[in-house]
Amino acid sequence: MQIRRKATAGTSQSSDLMVVVEPSDTLQIEIESTVKKQYEHLIRARIQEPLGRLGVTAARIRVNDRGALDYAIDARVETALRRAAEE
Amino acid sequence: MTGAVPLLSERDRLEARKLIESEGLRFETDADDIVGLYEGERLVATGSRAGYVLKMLAIAPSQQGGDALGELVTLLMQRGMDAGHETFFVYTRPEHAPSFERLNFRLLVTHGMAALLEIGLGIREYLDTHRALVRPGRNGAIVVNANPFTLGHLHLAETAARRVDHLYLFVVREDRSVFPFAARLRLAREATAHLPNVLVLETSRYAVSAGTFPSYFLKRLDDAALLQMQFDVRLFGSVLAPPFSVRARFVGDEPYCATTQIPRLAHGGAAISASRVRECLGRGDLDRVASWVPPATMAFLRSPAADAIMRCLAGAGEG
Repeated sequence: MQIRRKATAGTSQSSDLMVVVEPSDTLQIEIESTVKKQYEHLIRARIQEPLGRLGVTAARIRVNDRGALDYAIDARVETALRRAAEE
Repeated sequence: MTGAVPLLSERDRLEARKLIESEGLRFETDADDIVGLYEGERLVATGSRAGYVLKMLAIAPSQQGGDALGELVTLLMQRGMDAGHETFFVYTRPEHAPSFERLNFRLLVTHGMAALLEIGLGIREYLDTHRALVRPGRNGAIVVNANPFTLGHLHLAETAARRVDHLYLFVVREDRSVFPFAARLRLAREATAHLPNVLVLETSRYAVSAGTFPSYFLKRLDDAALLQMQFDVRLFGSVLAPPFSVRARFVGDEPYCATTQIPRLAHGGAAISASRVRECLGRGDLDRVASWVPPATMAFLRSPAADAIMRCLAGAGEG
């Protein structure tokens, strides 16, 4: 999947996350989270899943997380990626 | 309670104003966007955005402690990103800073009655793009608006540059001046090109002028000017000074504290200042200005690129 434009998904509400996806030459993932100290590695791993599933290898992904659960992370990231890939 | 919505009608905005004022805040009219949160027919929370600054966030007591703030910030940021902003500031009272930190805002500075936090790309992006200018040593800094760059600025830069390893000349990015930012930056570069240890760069969002410093959360407006100045000095000290190893900030002799003052350069018995330069330009007295500004500024003033500025200054003089 090719990232063509900037797109967002999600919210800044508790137990949710806001995802911003932009075109980039490389794959960059930036994470801000209220639980960054404890769970950054798990959040990062969870973001990798939709990336792998959709075959995204180049994008800048910024995540602003407020303690979202795994499936919320997966869904928000996938939504942002799909929006960013639209023609 | 449904999600936050934009407040577009006069009636909705009047409701927002009432809520803002009932929370002890002052309503300011420069908002690009006002959003709100309804419970039935009643507005229970509101927030605004002016450019990249989120402001006038007010939440009715019944909704405090819930996630009304998250909802307001979400919509303000989404709409702000649509308007092209990547970083958002919020000024608030220090006791409210933790509420924003829970939304992943980063605290930049807190002083007296005010705290400033940011979210988004922010200072990291700024430092990433200016990494090539980082020099080790005992460095100094000057922050100028340079509207336009005068011999006074040059004198300050030359004097300060002799006392430090590297001198950073920060030009205020914010475009609220007659001379546009691009011209102010370029003239500062050209005028100091002969000084090998002077580096010219921009302040981005990290210089707060009286124009952007919001006062809506202050109890008394007359405190705003002094607080803004102190706040700006603190912001520079905590955000811009450390990454560039700045140990001293130099200013022309104005009543500042915690800075090193250098007497202003005078010509014909009076100190040179950019405001005097603009006044003279307003009268069309270009020859007189020639003795107050460096050649680069003079060349710009005589070029067609400055026509619009000259007309604007002349108009200001008549009005």
